Amino acid sequence: MDEYSIGVLTNIGLFSFLALSAYLLLIAGEMSFGQQAFFGVGAYSGGMLTAIYGVPLPFAALAAMASGALVALLVGLPTLRLRGLYFAMATLAAAEMARILFELLHFQHEIDGELVGPDGTQGFRGIRWVFERGVEPLDYLAIVYSLLVTVLAAFLLVERSRLGVTLRSVGADPELAASIGVNVNRMKLGVAAAAGALAALGGVLYAHHNTYIEPRNFDIMLGVHSLAYALIGGLGTAFGPLLGVLVDLGLLEGTRVFQGYRMIVFGGLVAVLLLFRPRGLLDERVVHWLRARFS
Amino acid sequence: MLADLIQNTLDGLTGGAAYALLAVGFTLIFGVLRRVNLSYGAAIMFGVYFATWTSLNFQVGLAALAALTIAGAVLAGAYVERLCFAPHYRSRGSPRASSGSIAAMVASFALWMQFEEAAILALPKHLYAFPPLHAGEPLRFGQFFLRVEALYLLLAAVAVCALLHTILYRTRFGLAVRAVIDVPVAAQLAGINVSWVFVRIFALASAIGGLAGFLIAASHEQVTPMLGMWATIKGMLAMMLGGLGSLPGAVAGGLVLGLLEAHSQWFFGPQMRDLIAYLLIFALLALRPAWMTRWTSTRSAS
Repeated sequence: MDEYSIGVLTNIGLFSFLALSAYLLLIAGEMSFGQQAFFGVGAYSGGMLTAIYGVPLPFAALAAMASGALVALLVGLPTLRLRGLYFAMATLAAAEMARILFELLHFQHEIDGELVGPDGTQGFRGIRWVFERGVEPLDYLAIVYSLLVTVLAAFLLVERSRLGVTLRSVGADPELAASIGVNVNRMKLGVAAAAGALAALGGVLYAHHNTYIEPRNFDIMLGVHSLAYALIGGLGTAFGPLLGVLVDLGLLEGTRVFQGYRMIVFGGLVAVLLLFRPRGLLDERVVHWLRARFS
Repeated sequence: MLADLIQNTLDGLTGGAAYALLAVGFTLIFGVLRRVNLSYGAAIMFGVYFATWTSLNFQVGLAALAALTIAGAVLAGAYVERLCFAPHYRSRGSPRASSGSIAAMVASFALWMQFEEAAILALPKHLYAFPPLHAGEPLRFGQFFLRVEALYLLLAAVAVCALLHTILYRTRFGLAVRAVIDVPVAAQLAGINVSWVFVRIFALASAIGGLAGFLIAASHEQVTPMLGMWATIKGMLAMMLGGLGSLPGAVAGGLVLGLLEAHSQWFFGPQMRDLIAYLLIFALLALRPAWMTRWTSTRSAS
């Protein structure tokens, strides 16, 4: 495989984590405009741990996921009782605050005669843990995809379990779910934390793939893209968001057929698709039909 | 110190008047359709680019430029309305309303990306000059000065509000709009063509957006593709500060946002300016959600 294809495939894997994070909240009935913030929290905290403190990547990734979950809980606690649009706006405000805080973050240390660490709007360069350990791009691709497969397997297991059914019941009608004894608040907080951790995992892998991050990587465009991925792919199964990422990054950007017009094509595609399928290509109906057909 | 405060307040009014005008258009769509049109700013930017492109290729006066901006914004608005909002009107109020609302919002974002790329393809430079509204000196009051454009923007905001008030409370169309806002099903049963009301409200809001876009571009004397995102974010923030769904609230929200930004920029710098605005919105939503729902509490906005 040439370097370009590896890069495209790695990107597809990385942004799948973010799309899955948006998807998890969507099936619980909440639309977040702020998952990019947790992606950023993961990228910054994981990058600082490996680049400044020399923590091995696996531990840094775990710590990044924990901080992503923690920040998501902090944002979720006061806002999850809001519904629909109001929750979307609150998460947008929180995410933009996070981005500005990244712009204000200056924390540089001298390592091997070089300043390393976040430098405000100048970005954060030198996240070279993967590069210095001699991990080849192809190996990194394998790491990203094995993590993605693990996450996906967890999603599929949960969706077939009682927990998954409860989750969808909260998304479909929170009042009804509460009336049959589901603790809706605890459920939503758990979902928010898990989605935050998932986005942070994507972020830490993104930071180590690119070796350079800057605050505007994590602006509202990224957040709405992840929502769009989940929504065009479909809300019926965890494969949906992956399909969404594949269509945009794989088909449109990766093949370079629509260079210069990619946004026009992707934008039109999304709008037209949502006309006919407001819950995406693989929505609950299609998934149900497929399951009945093949099992 | 006091002089700075006064000058900041005057600057804040200038910015605030622009935000107020944007928030009025946003509020009109949200108040009637209960939908957020994320590509509102992008459609305005499209109108401004349409006018800029024309002025680069032909000799046109200011009035023609304003008309072109408004025409472009209404055209872009019609495209957004047909593609993102019209198909989901039927699902309003039904159990699937919330997924229709999300779909409409994400679809409107998708068109935002289209407008942005189309603008960059048509005029690829990062920045284009826009003819100024007023070439002379700013108004001076002793040691303070106020840009003339601010007066135009404020005047436009007041005029638009007066016009909307007349339409909403003095015409049959306004009666239909208010009926649709209160109880859409009853309005439908009474023979009001609800989707037609939506279409006209959308056109009206787009025209207001075009006017705002023209005045803003003429007072900044430049256009960039970033105008779209800027207008959407600022308009949305001002609308939320004003309590979502009230026209006087939108004007007040715009002015408050402008004043807040001018003062916090002076005291804490540009990054803190944005941080404080977002913090205020977040705190309002988290601590006083009733502030945001007081105009819309009869029907949920989900």
